[in-house]
Amino acid sequence: MGSIELTAVQKSFGDVEVIRPLNLDIEDGEFVVFVGPSGCGKSTLLRLIAGLEDTTAGSISIDGQDATDLPPGKRGLAMVFQSYALYPHMTVRKNIAFPMRMAKIPRQEQAKRIAAAADVLNLTDYLDRRPGQLSGGQRQRVAIGRAIVREPSAFLFDEPLSNLDAALRVGMRLEISELHKRLQTTMIYVTHDQVEAMTMADKIVVLNEGVIEQVGSPLELYRSPRNLFVASFIGSPMMNIIEGEMADSHQASAIGVRPEHLSLSTDSGLWQGKVGVAEHLGSDTFFHVQVEGLPKPLTVRAPGDVELQYQDTVFVTPEKTNLHRFDSSGLRID
Amino acid sequence: MKRLLATAVAATLAFGVPALTTAADEEINVVMFGMPYTNGLQKLAGDFEAETGIKANIDVIGQDVFENRITLSFTGATGDIDVVHTPVIQVQRWVAANWLKPITAEVDAMAVKSDIMAGPLDAYVINGEQWAVPYMAATGLMTYRKDILEEAGVDVPDTWEDMLSVAAKIHNDETAAIAMRAVPGQGFNMFIFPMVMRAYGGKFFEDYTGGDLTPAINSPETLEALNVYMKLLNEYGPQGAGNFNFAEVNAAAQNGQIAFALEGTGVVAQIVDPAKSKFADKTGIALPPAGPAGRSPAIAVHGLGIPASAKNPELSARFIEWAVSTETMTKIALSESFSNFTTGPVAQNPEVIEKYSKVHPDFLTMQADALNLAIGHYRPLLPDWPALGQAIGENINAALNGLVSPEEALEGAEQDMKDILGM
Amino acid sequence: MSSNSKQRAGATYELERGYRRMIVPAIIAVAIFAIVPLAGMLALSFSDYHLIRGSNGEFGLRNFIKLVNDKRLVNSIYVMSVLSLFGVAAQVIIGTAVAVGLHKIVGRWRLGRVLFLVPYAVPHVAVALIWLSLFTPTLSPINAFFDLFGITVPSFLTSQNGAMFAIIVADTWTNFPFTMLIILAALQGISPDLDEAAALDGASRVKTFIFITLPLLLPALLMVTLFRFIDSLKHFPMIFVMTKGGPGRSTQATNFYAYVQTFQNSNVAYGAAIAVLLFLMAALISFYVAKLNQRISS
Ligand SMILES: Nc1ncnc2c1ncn2[C@@H]1O[C@H](COP(=O)(O)OP(=O)(O)OP(=O)(O)O)[C@@H](O)[C@H]1O
Ligand SMILES: [Mg+2]
Repeated sequence: MGSIELTAVQKSFGDVEVIRPLNLDIEDGEFVVFVGPSGCGKSTLLRLIAGLEDTTAGSISIDGQDATDLPPGKRGLAMVFQSYALYPHMTVRKNIAFPMRMAKIPRQEQAKRIAAAADVLNLTDYLDRRPGQLSGGQRQRVAIGRAIVREPSAFLFDEPLSNLDAALRVGMRLEISELHKRLQTTMIYVTHDQVEAMTMADKIVVLNEGVIEQVGSPLELYRSPRNLFVASFIGSPMMNIIEGEMADSHQASAIGVRPEHLSLSTDSGLWQGKVGVAEHLGSDTFFHVQVEGLPKPLTVRAPGDVELQYQDTVFVTPEKTNLHRFDSSGLRID
Repeated sequence: MKRLLATAVAATLAFGVPALTTAADEEINVVMFGMPYTNGLQKLAGDFEAETGIKANIDVIGQDVFENRITLSFTGATGDIDVVHTPVIQVQRWVAANWLKPITAEVDAMAVKSDIMAGPLDAYVINGEQWAVPYMAATGLMTYRKDILEEAGVDVPDTWEDMLSVAAKIHNDETAAIAMRAVPGQGFNMFIFPMVMRAYGGKFFEDYTGGDLTPAINSPETLEALNVYMKLLNEYGPQGAGNFNFAEVNAAAQNGQIAFALEGTGVVAQIVDPAKSKFADKTGIALPPAGPAGRSPAIAVHGLGIPASAKNPELSARFIEWAVSTETMTKIALSESFSNFTTGPVAQNPEVIEKYSKVHPDFLTMQADALNLAIGHYRPLLPDWPALGQAIGENINAALNGLVSPEEALEGAEQDMKDILGM
Repeated sequence: MSSNSKQRAGATYELERGYRRMIVPAIIAVAIFAIVPLAGMLALSFSDYHLIRGSNGEFGLRNFIKLVNDKRLVNSIYVMSVLSLFGVAAQVIIGTAVAVGLHKIVGRWRLGRVLFLVPYAVPHVAVALIWLSLFTPTLSPINAFFDLFGITVPSFLTSQNGAMFAIIVADTWTNFPFTMLIILAALQGISPDLDEAAALDGASRVKTFIFITLPLLLPALLMVTLFRFIDSLKHFPMIFVMTKGGPGRSTQATNFYAYVQTFQNSNVAYGAAIAVLLFLMAALISFYVAKLNQRISS
């Protein structure tokens, strides 16, 4: 069990309202990702759920029970910190055992769970080391191990991978996803990396300045972003946003089209422009094309083997079906 | 060998002491510990320079720091002190340690010499040489609350016996009968207790004046005195009397918490000073009580000496002459609470008389009477006295606070005396 | 190449040499300000130097043999131990408690830290005078207050235990800010995440303190205990001002006894021997604690 419901939750630090009143339902077993730019309130929201911050207004219920004023230890949640927050004076074994010790779980049971967690997380050889003697990835695993053994109703992760290098990050991302598949426990995962969000989430919550911009599955967000913010935040590289005359012709104040939904041709197309910088990724190449009449170049995805020279003249054509239209307040027009 | 060891002493102490100033040609360093006279003298340093062109750096420091400072300077013979505060109680020890320079000729040449009271001046004569010049002689006096005695219908006690019976009559929870110094130390309880001891015929040695320095403190006379002292403080003293020093006695008297105080003139002057105590106008002054063996007011003489290592003794002597001159003394007597000066003519100064008569009409006469009665060796004038006084004081205080019986205390004191004197 | 017997300097050689140079002034200062007086003291302790009676030039263990049979020394060590053990314990416990309290509210109440530092800034003699009057029944507002209700507060300074208690109180009052400051700094070095992690792990505040905070403070606690302990062996101003070693000799801690021997009894050599003994005790304690510290931090 691990359903979480936020109702009109609001948080201010002094005069600064960091979380505007918001509602959010998280269902049991869901993998929910909070994503948004730095400072938007992701961590704060997570900490409100964890009980590490008091809500200014609103209520939080966990598994149908009101938990608004419950201390963190009584919420049945486990959290993995960005800094890992391992107890430096305890061995890996003791770190993992700590929540069980606090819960007065019998020693035998403790040992069993530690062994199991160590097995899953490849920590068996490191159980008697101190955190200071482990690599970043290993520390991360210990932190996860300490979370698992409590058998919490939900896991909370606050940017757990941001201290790892790119390769390790991809590996750990998979491990966490696998863990979720196996445990089927609710996970709430904070990141500002939208690739992590897209790849891991069942449900993404896009936050901006303390407001939920949109909640939905990765594909929903990709296909029908509710507004300009989500449109430009989700997807990589970023969606091209075009305003002005070209948007007017589509009866919108802005139109958006993703790089992968633009086609490139050397002889004909809707918009004419000049090739700027090209980013070769091997399988794909992203061209920055300066279309006449637009303030910024468009990013266009092309197959990896397309060869174009700097300043070549090209034509760009958007796919009609994947054109997003937004009104003057930035909201999607369907 | 001795030089080497002295260097060792100096090295050991040197680093606990602030940087030393070395005297320039026309500059002298004076080190003294805090008292009304020394504080007053410090303020007059400018006068000395104006008169003589010699700059005097007068350092007035705490008594414990003083010990450290002079031991360093004198054992190391650093010559950084030109004039030193010399209590008579220490002079024997210092002379034995070769710390002081004999100044007989210098003092003879001082015009002021004939004006200095003979008793205190002679207290500094050892082996026929003069070692320092006195500036003050504090004596022991008793203060009493006239109103309390009147109310109880009793007279001022003349003997310790009287004191015991008066104390029993007037002692109550509000106002205790009497307080005296009790903390251990040759300058603390051992400044006061001998007044009782000597009144009962107790003595430190078999025959001090005759030269028989066999310890004799464990005598029936001293025991009787100790019992009186203890009974007074334990039964008729304020709560906590067993740890009183002069400051506590002074405060208790000024706050009206005691009827009798036995103190040195410096403290007595404050107890009876209307500017300092609400009870001053109800307070009388008397000589300390007598006993079967008579009356023996305490005496403490302080003076100025010249360290053996002083670089420019002539300048030092000029400073001392100025410091004990009638003029300087008068200034200090007027500016500070300083009545126990030893330069005679100061007492004839009308302003001084007026000032201290205002403090208390009987004050100057009582002080003079006590000085007449006091014996020079009230506390023995021996190099070992600081050690002996400390040890005896500790034993007396132990008995007072019930750690040992009075008999054990005197036995212990006598044994300690023998140990110190190597007997 | 193999004939090159010269040891490799290694990549960090330059850096290390730089550090080594940095401690040169400290070594010189220690040599002058610690070694020289210490050597002087050691030389004296083997001698027979008496300020009044001088020296016969005898050197030997005489003073140390005398130390072994000196009952007053035994008493002084007892007094010193009581003052140091209880005093330091109180300072560490109170200092830690205040530090933990201040740490939690430090953002909101910076003045608090300054306020608690005040006692540390007061000179020891002044501290002793304050507490002397607080423990003197005729002067103490505490006694006056209880008198209003007809309660007589006992007199502390006239019994050995009471006097030691009073000295410990004064010593603790003036020195706990030191432990507080060090512990506060140590607390600030502990990541707040750990507290939060422990909270989520279901640990109460008390358990968090016992299982997480305290173990992490241990090195700092040891350090501060050592510092305070060694410093407390030098007990002097409090005793000198508050009891003069009394009642009787019952609060003459070893350092005070050394003072009595050196300055009152003129027995410089014997006083030096006591000082050497004190130094050895301090050195021994430092050594042990340093070893303990190593074990804990490894
Ligand atoms: N204890 C606090 N007191 C005052 N303001 C705070 C506090 N904690 C956070 N804030 C503010 O609240 C806002 C949201 O902070 P939060 O840490 O939730 O952002 P975030 O989305 O997690 O950002 P990041 O991606 O950088 O971690 C920020 O503007 C931050 O400055
Ligand atoms: Mg964050």
